[in-house]
Amino acid sequence: MEWVILVSLALASLVFVTDPAPGPIRLKAQARNMDCEHISAQEAHQRYPGIIAAAKPRGDYVERRAMVCKERLMRPGLRVPQDDAILSRLEDRAAELVGVAMRPDLADRTWLVEAHYPSGPVSAKIAFATKNALVLQGLAVSDRTPVLGVDDLDVITHMGPWRAYPAACRRYADTGGMGAGDALLAVVNLDPRETILHAGVCADGRWEWLQ
Amino acid sequence: MLSQWWRRSPPLLEAMISCLRTRIAVLLSVLVLGCVKVYQPVSGLSQPVVVDPRLANFQDVRLAVYCPPGDLVNAVEARALCRKVGILFENQGAQVTTYTTDRRVGDNSLGDELRDDSADASIEAPPIDLSLELRGREVQAGNDHLSWVLFIATFTLVPGVTEFTFAQDVVVRDANGFLLASDSMQGRIVRYAGAGTFVTNKILDLIWRDEEDHIIGDKPHSELSADFYGQLSQLTFNAKMRWQVLQEASSAARAE
Repeated sequence: MEWVILVSLALASLVFVTDPAPGPIRLKAQARNMDCEHISAQEAHQRYPGIIAAAKPRGDYVERRAMVCKERLMRPGLRVPQDDAILSRLEDRAAELVGVAMRPDLADRTWLVEAHYPSGPVSAKIAFATKNALVLQGLAVSDRTPVLGVDDLDVITHMGPWRAYPAACRRYADTGGMGAGDALLAVVNLDPRETILHAGVCADGRWEWLQ
Repeated sequence: MLSQWWRRSPPLLEAMISCLRTRIAVLLSVLVLGCVKVYQPVSGLSQPVVVDPRLANFQDVRLAVYCPPGDLVNAVEARALCRKVGILFENQGAQVTTYTTDRRVGDNSLGDELRDDSADASIEAPPIDLSLELRGREVQAGNDHLSWVLFIATFTLVPGVTEFTFAQDVVVRDANGFLLASDSMQGRIVRYAGAGTFVTNKILDLIWRDEEDHIIGDKPHSELSADFYGQLSQLTFNAKMRWQVLQEASSAARAE
């Protein structure tokens, strides 16, 4: 008899299974893999008219609100945490960096893009997203990458980032790697512990950190 | 006939009463224990964290932590929060000064007497590199009335649900007030009252869920703290890196 009561109790609690919080049928890891937001019932009806009913003309008897949750594209642990943090907001971040880099005096230049990130595949994605953001701003973008000689590289790779980027920029101009009509936007990850990207612009042999 | 049965079967009646008492006692004890509290990171609290809070990530950074009291936290709670956050960053090598004043409006009524590290208000504040402001606010709090009606009608078989969603707004600036990083982290605490949900989750904890997925127990607060302090460390570290880049940019500009 006790078991019947226990099973009844267990089944009754399953009435509330639609809640996104961890519960009888939702593990904590599943709840953590969602991004949610509270919205009003009216907004919820506008966004999801077939799921959320509109408020009655004379109002509802109870105040209704909705919590909208979206599951993330990649499950937790599939990517390295730093890559996950960078890639999950890459489009917005690239657009933000391009917005900062745009200067009236560089509007007619051909933009080259470099991405410096520990992972090669992620670095390529960062460069691609940055080029896309530049194109969306109506700027001329080239796939060309300025190159340095072996001797230059040997010296520059032994410098810290604060000296290395200005030095590389000067050498690009001196060796003809970048012409007068070029501008370089470098997107950089300076520390393996950070989850943001920094940017600097190289034009006419002068390097400038943006953020 | 009835009186004969009554006289002949006192042991049966006693057994029934005893059984009923046992069940009531079991149900009451379940009711007392039967509140399940779960934590759900709504937004910003479950982002990937790379920085390890056990390492010296803020060596020699002078950090001011502001925790003004507000709608969500009173002056005492703000002070406790500030102290914990201060310890978090001190353990990572920062020189921390904590304030429970409202830096934005400079209103003494908002806890100026609770300045932690300087008893004398006339003493000038120490120079800082970064300032971290924490402001908590309530996003939504509610009782699901229908669930409570069903809770009573079904003798706690259906859980009564209360929930509370809060936001912690975090802003990091440099000494000049320049905004380096900001975020709003939202979390939600849901309380399910009732024997049904308690027993169900207890059974699932015992037979199905892994240790880290257990729901019964005092875990919501520790999970929330772990998420919050991790995100806070990451956000502040990102701000520190941006601050260093901007410092380099301004020193280069001065040199030219």
